[in-house]
Amino acid sequence: MNVDQLADVLRNDEDFMQNVVRWEELPAQEARYAAFPPQLDPRLIPVLEKRGIHSLYTHQAHAVREILDGHDVVVVTPTASGKTMCYNLPILSEILRNPDTRALYLFPTKALSADQVNELYDLIQLSGADIKTYTYDGDTPGAARKAVRQAGHIVVTNPDMLHSGILPHHTKWVKLFENLKYIVIDEIHTYRGVFGSNLANVLRRLIRLCDFYGSHPQFILCSATIANPKELAETLTGRSIELIDDNGAPMGKRHFVFYNPPVINEQLGIRKGAMGEVRNISGMLLKNGIQAITFARSRLVVEVLTRYLKDMVRDPLGNAGRVRGYRGGYLPTTRHEIERGLREGRVDAVISTNALELGIDIGALDACVLCGYPGTIASAWQQAGRAGRRKASSIVFFVANSSALDQYIVAHPDYFLHRSPENALLNPDNIYILLSHFKCAAYELPFEDGDAFGNAPSPDMLMEYLTDSNILRHVGGRYHWMADDFPASSLSLRSAAEENFAIIDITDPARHKVVGEMDRFTVPMLLHENAIYMHEGMQYQVEKLDFDACKAFIRQVDVGYYTDADLNISLSLLDIEEEVNNPSGLSRALGEIKVSALVTMFKKIRFDTHENLGFGHVRLPETDMHTSAMWWKLPDDLCASFDNDQLKDGMLGIANLLRIVSPLYLMCSPQDICVVYQVKSPITDKPTLIIYDNYPGGVGLAQKAYSMQRLLLEKCLEIVTGCGCPHGCPSCVGPVGEVGLDGKQTAILILKDMLSRSDL
Amino acid sequence: MHEYPEIDALARRPLMLMQHEDLPDPLNPRHILFLDTETTGLGGGAGTVAFEIGVGRITSQGFAVTQYVMRDYPEERFMLEKVRQQILDSEVLCTFNGRTFDIPLLRTRFLMNRINADCLDLPHIDLLPISRRIYKLRLSQCRLSRIESEVLGISRPNDLPGSEAPERFFRFLKTGEFSLLEEVLAHNEQDVASMLLLLSHLCAQYTRPEQISFQEDLFSMGAALEKEHHTRESRRVYRLVPSGRLHSPSQLRLAASHRRDGQAERAKEIYLDMIARKEGGVEPYIAMAKYYEHKEGNPALALEMTRKALILLAEPSLLDSSTVQDTRNALQYRYDRLQKRLTKKGI
Repeated sequence: MNVDQLADVLRNDEDFMQNVVRWEELPAQEARYAAFPPQLDPRLIPVLEKRGIHSLYTHQAHAVREILDGHDVVVVTPTASGKTMCYNLPILSEILRNPDTRALYLFPTKALSADQVNELYDLIQLSGADIKTYTYDGDTPGAARKAVRQAGHIVVTNPDMLHSGILPHHTKWVKLFENLKYIVIDEIHTYRGVFGSNLANVLRRLIRLCDFYGSHPQFILCSATIANPKELAETLTGRSIELIDDNGAPMGKRHFVFYNPPVINEQLGIRKGAMGEVRNISGMLLKNGIQAITFARSRLVVEVLTRYLKDMVRDPLGNAGRVRGYRGGYLPTTRHEIERGLREGRVDAVISTNALELGIDIGALDACVLCGYPGTIASAWQQAGRAGRRKASSIVFFVANSSALDQYIVAHPDYFLHRSPENALLNPDNIYILLSHFKCAAYELPFEDGDAFGNAPSPDMLMEYLTDSNILRHVGGRYHWMADDFPASSLSLRSAAEENFAIIDITDPARHKVVGEMDRFTVPMLLHENAIYMHEGMQYQVEKLDFDACKAFIRQVDVGYYTDADLNISLSLLDIEEEVNNPSGLSRALGEIKVSALVTMFKKIRFDTHENLGFGHVRLPETDMHTSAMWWKLPDDLCASFDNDQLKDGMLGIANLLRIVSPLYLMCSPQDICVVYQVKSPITDKPTLIIYDNYPGGVGLAQKAYSMQRLLLEKCLEIVTGCGCPHGCPSCVGPVGEVGLDGKQTAILILKDMLSRSDL
Repeated sequence: MHEYPEIDALARRPLMLMQHEDLPDPLNPRHILFLDTETTGLGGGAGTVAFEIGVGRITSQGFAVTQYVMRDYPEERFMLEKVRQQILDSEVLCTFNGRTFDIPLLRTRFLMNRINADCLDLPHIDLLPISRRIYKLRLSQCRLSRIESEVLGISRPNDLPGSEAPERFFRFLKTGEFSLLEEVLAHNEQDVASMLLLLSHLCAQYTRPEQISFQEDLFSMGAALEKEHHTRESRRVYRLVPSGRLHSPSQLRLAASHRRDGQAERAKEIYLDMIARKEGGVEPYIAMAKYYEHKEGNPALALEMTRKALILLAEPSLLDSSTVQDTRNALQYRYDRLQKRLTKKGI
């Protein structure tokens, strides 16, 4: 059955259609072609023709022209629109003409770089030219590094490696820096918030070194659909950038089905779980031979669904290779094998976390099932974009879970279909981030009087500050590094600790084998002792978790349940830096807090029925993070005017508003900060709203929020009073299912009161 | 000026035995430049600076060490130019760990100051890997200070640890107190001087291995020579290893070396000698079993050797590890195979 036939069957299936709240058809788009631009080296044309490419899509031709004319560009491309051609073609063309030319490719993850290099190899091989492409990352063996530094025409790496492995050692990369002509940055939509601010500063350092070596590279950036690709590209690079978004790739018709699981208890309004419904829908796709990807929001759900679907297609030997799970923590070889299986059609169903949201090449699939709303419009479109053939139709199912946010989306499909995706925001001039990179830059090359650092404000003040701190020495018009350390090593571009645990299967005592890995933060949730750990649909029990050695030992089992751990997050006060305590006014403070995550128990849940079979205890150390925070303690007289539930709903509403508003004014991504409300806070003993940096040590976001608190509260009030919804929606206080009928009104009252306090 | 007893040993021939980089021929020891830097850190990135560079060379008056110090960053270029001139006046560089540290660091400094760094491509004798090959077995780690005390008999009672040099320099920059650098300079001077001592000592040892008193050093030298394909010299050194812990490994390597060159008879003599002296465990038996079977075509004797080896292994041993188990299995297999072959022949 093809997608259109399936769509017809479903539309005639009353039982199914009862739960469909909206069936949207997005029309097919015709391909728009353009001839090979004259700027392209003619030797490439037969190479392309060998691959069956006789003309380019309009956006590809546009990109090639602009790039070869010497302009910086950002190309916005939906999934599967031939994005890599946009940069590979002009760069190969330039290298053919001038073999000294060098290019640097940056991908956000190692997995992506490996993938892109393969594609590039193919083109180069077909061209028969002696063009060397190397990946340079943590996996590059020491012996190969020298060759990469000397001879690589195209060096493929990631921002972290550029930051700590290449820039501080630039003198070993003379060839690259002297001849660097192109800097390609793919998937720039992932560089938002603190990660993006870090990258922007890494690029300032890179360009500064290029100046030293006398090269003037162009930027080529690629982004998935976001609201502000040009602005993001310009903030990242500090240059004005040409936007190319005239996508000429064809797209078949797309069905978009909004599905809400049926109510099973009218009185309590309880719906069937999304997982069971997804099991049916993905199962139906699998049975009908429609290649599909299912996105789930957690690794656990991925594994449970994988098992369900595998059970449907097991052959007599128990093999079910047509169904695969995919998530972070699988070994790279396993992941590549799954990706290849998808491209080559050997895998019919893959169940994935958002790990497959990025541009890893798995080809285009027929169908996509979203098990729950991924949280942002941009990532929902990214995931949905995995289904979409160039010619044939495709279908996307959004299956809502019972959370208020999902219920809102499924009740208001237009919110999703017609609202523009989120802005990607970043602030390269965040003083914490800027200063850290400024130190790295000073280490890499002494600043001279009057030097700029990209477009960073007042670099001379930073130089003076570091001189006063005895880190730089100002002499002879230059600022020399005067410390016995290596600044890049103490600065990580990402928040998550990189340290991974190895997962070791000890089922066969003679052959222990590593089956996967997991980050430190997730380990207590999924790999505590006695947990049922699921990997590619197989069940294992965790026998021993060696926290110090970063190893988990698991043994294969076959039990009828899985486990789910409870994570408790608690906040405690470490230090108050600044405080305004005013009984009649609004008390607020800035300080340091400890955020502790602790797993204390787990549930055993039976497969199929999902009933709770019992509990187990977990004994593990807390995972702590020290960070900076600001908070408002609500005045007693204000709190006295509400009952407890009202107060709670109102505070929840404000917290949600702050989550929406703060990133806009702090110029960060929503994941960079946490906003919590506590009716009886251990920090103040009173109802309190808290904003803290979601980074160990903090990156100055709470400080900034503290300095603009009136503005933040005003904007919250502006949004909530201006929102047209009657009782709350995800764009203001949150869906009514969360904040209750009065939540919106209470939030407005509290906000007005906070703002009216004279001393704020 | 420093004077050295073994300086006459310094010659091209032993130098070519201990490392594989080609050296000028003839080699005038006075054209070797001994070089050591003191730096602002061990980071090895573009922001690490050599604030002091000591160079030494042999002169008619003795060993002369010249030290260049930058009194502040703007003097770096001048200092580097001076050092570059010294290097241009030389034919060979000698350092301790210079291949991974000093020379790449200087290359970076030259580049940062836009000075041509080609002079650094001179033939380079790095004493660290050479010493490691000879002394690692005995000393387990090969820092220069340890080699000084254990090999050269030098003691440095009031030496400033090299790791404190950056701090001293930064304090000097802030205060202008030159005395802060005096201990750094003394440390560096001794480092450079020790390099000449060490190089001469190594040359003397390579020239007259019979005077080496430590069996570990002898065995290591034999292995190092063998690795660099100096077969004749390596055999000579292996033969010098006195009876003791390393005698049988030396004999085994010596025999293997002969066998590789097709000198099966020479190897046989060694193995039989080892068996007679009950030395080397099962290995000489296994080697002889192979020899009898494949060279002399005498499976009966081969079987006998295998049987003896198995008996030897049957004796209880503390080292009954998995490798022993593997050896036993392999021997048993050999034994069964030979026996089968013999019975077949008998029929």
